[in-house]
Amino acid sequence: MDIYKEEVMDHSEHPRNQGSFDNVLIKDGQVGQILEGRDSNVSCGDMVQFQLRVEDGKIVEVKWKGVGCAIATASASKLSEYLKGQALEDVREMSEEEMVEKGIGFSVNPGREKCLMLPVKVVRKILES
Amino acid sequence: MFEPEEIRKDFPILQRKIGGKEIVYLDSGATSQKPKQVIEAISKYYETNNANVHRGAHTLGDESTQLLEEARETIAKWIGGKSEEVIFVRNTTEAINLVAYGWGLDNLKKDDVILTTEMEHHSNIVPWQEVARRTGAKVEMVKVTSEGLLDQDNYKDKLKLKPKLVAMVQVSNALGTINPIVEMTKQAHKIGALVLVDGAQAVPHMKVDVQKIGCDWYAFSGHKMLGPMGIGVLWGKKEILNKMSPFLTGGGMISEVYVDHSTWTELPEKFEAGTPNVAGAVGLVSAIEYLDRLGIENVREHDKWLTVYGLQLIAGVEGVEILGPRDAELRSGSISFTYTGVHAHDVATVLDSQGVMVRSGYHCTMPLHNKLGVVASVRVSFNVYTTKNDIDRLVEALLEVKKIFGK
Repeated sequence: MDIYKEEVMDHSEHPRNQGSFDNVLIKDGQVGQILEGRDSNVSCGDMVQFQLRVEDGKIVEVKWKGVGCAIATASASKLSEYLKGQALEDVREMSEEEMVEKGIGFSVNPGREKCLMLPVKVVRKILES
Repeated sequence: MFEPEEIRKDFPILQRKIGGKEIVYLDSGATSQKPKQVIEAISKYYETNNANVHRGAHTLGDESTQLLEEARETIAKWIGGKSEEVIFVRNTTEAINLVAYGWGLDNLKKDDVILTTEMEHHSNIVPWQEVARRTGAKVEMVKVTSEGLLDQDNYKDKLKLKPKLVAMVQVSNALGTINPIVEMTKQAHKIGALVLVDGAQAVPHMKVDVQKIGCDWYAFSGHKMLGPMGIGVLWGKKEILNKMSPFLTGGGMISEVYVDHSTWTELPEKFEAGTPNVAGAVGLVSAIEYLDRLGIENVREHDKWLTVYGLQLIAGVEGVEILGPRDAELRSGSISFTYTGVHAHDVATVLDSQGVMVRSGYHCTMPLHNKLGVVASVRVSFNVYTTKNDIDRLVEALLEVKKIFGK
């Protein structure tokens, strides 16, 4: 099956950067800033939360958590790897398509588009707030 | 009984092959496929009778009007009502909204109770939440047991709150549970509540008689019972419909229009503003004729047989957990399940790669899934064209899930 390629399965079974900064105390103006956001897919209940730790306009660390299918999990995992080290401004200027292309790097059939896009929507939400 | 393999020949879409394989369509609960008789009836209407109804003194207009009114009579007879009690709408959702806005807004006030259930489709929850928001009424829900039945003790308790309305589903779209609505309606009437029944998943599979049920409104869609999309029915008791306000207003539902006010026509047109879906009504009649030819009792037997066979085979697949009651007498039309360690969407995608089409997700029943502690589930649902082979192909395809996910 095309959709469940080795890379997708690897990321869904061993998701990278999972967790949260909830127990780490960082306040505005100190070491850095934590931006966070979450969203869910109403048709299935999948939920994803992203936290970006930002220092001097650069994303230095990413943590995410959530419940989701293999596609949403792999998508969040890959995106979290990509975002680490990016300038906040550069990511803010990216279109959703660009974020999928550069940050996720795999595609799905239209029926699974929402699963793939959930992490992207969450990151867009964080950057727009 | 009838031979589903023979029936399949009437459904052009089931002759289609995807990826060289015959389609296994197990998503009839979302919408059924249509037999060629229905498709042809719709074409024939547009080819020979099409004109707008209730206006224009010409032959085609008269024919269209007659077809629409004959459809109303056929449907009324089919569900045991009178023809002026049959209101054409687009679908079950619109029928429920008609009651919510046409009755609820006028008759509910602050702290009144609307009683619905945890098993409802969102279409029988959200309109009531909206009415509650506008009137100050409260929405209460009857609990669902872990077995997937409505908790009858809890229902009795909730009736003590003296609800003005009980809005409940006859057959659950997510669990397949058949609710004891005749008895539940009786109990609701005893405390003076009106009763609305969502019959969307019941009409395709069993004999429905609104007089026997005793409810005040009954809502269903044509497209789940072999008819076309875009046509549905709200049946209601004449004396109640007469007292209700129109839901949509405009042409076709007025008696006189003055600069500052208008007066409404009689039933059923009072609730049918704008040009109606005549082709849809004609298609729905053809679907009823099709089901009548098979015999609705045979349809129910076929459905029960598939449920027994399906429950047995699907439950036997490693990792599968069935939702809802295990007794086929208590269920109809569908089987929902989860697959341990693999998300329902991923299961559905693997099944689709094998030509097996199912529904995955919440099935528009988020409160129910939350209650059962299930994130999302896979639903296979049947209709008259569903065969033993479809179930066998499903089970074969489920084995692919293990191959891909190793679980």
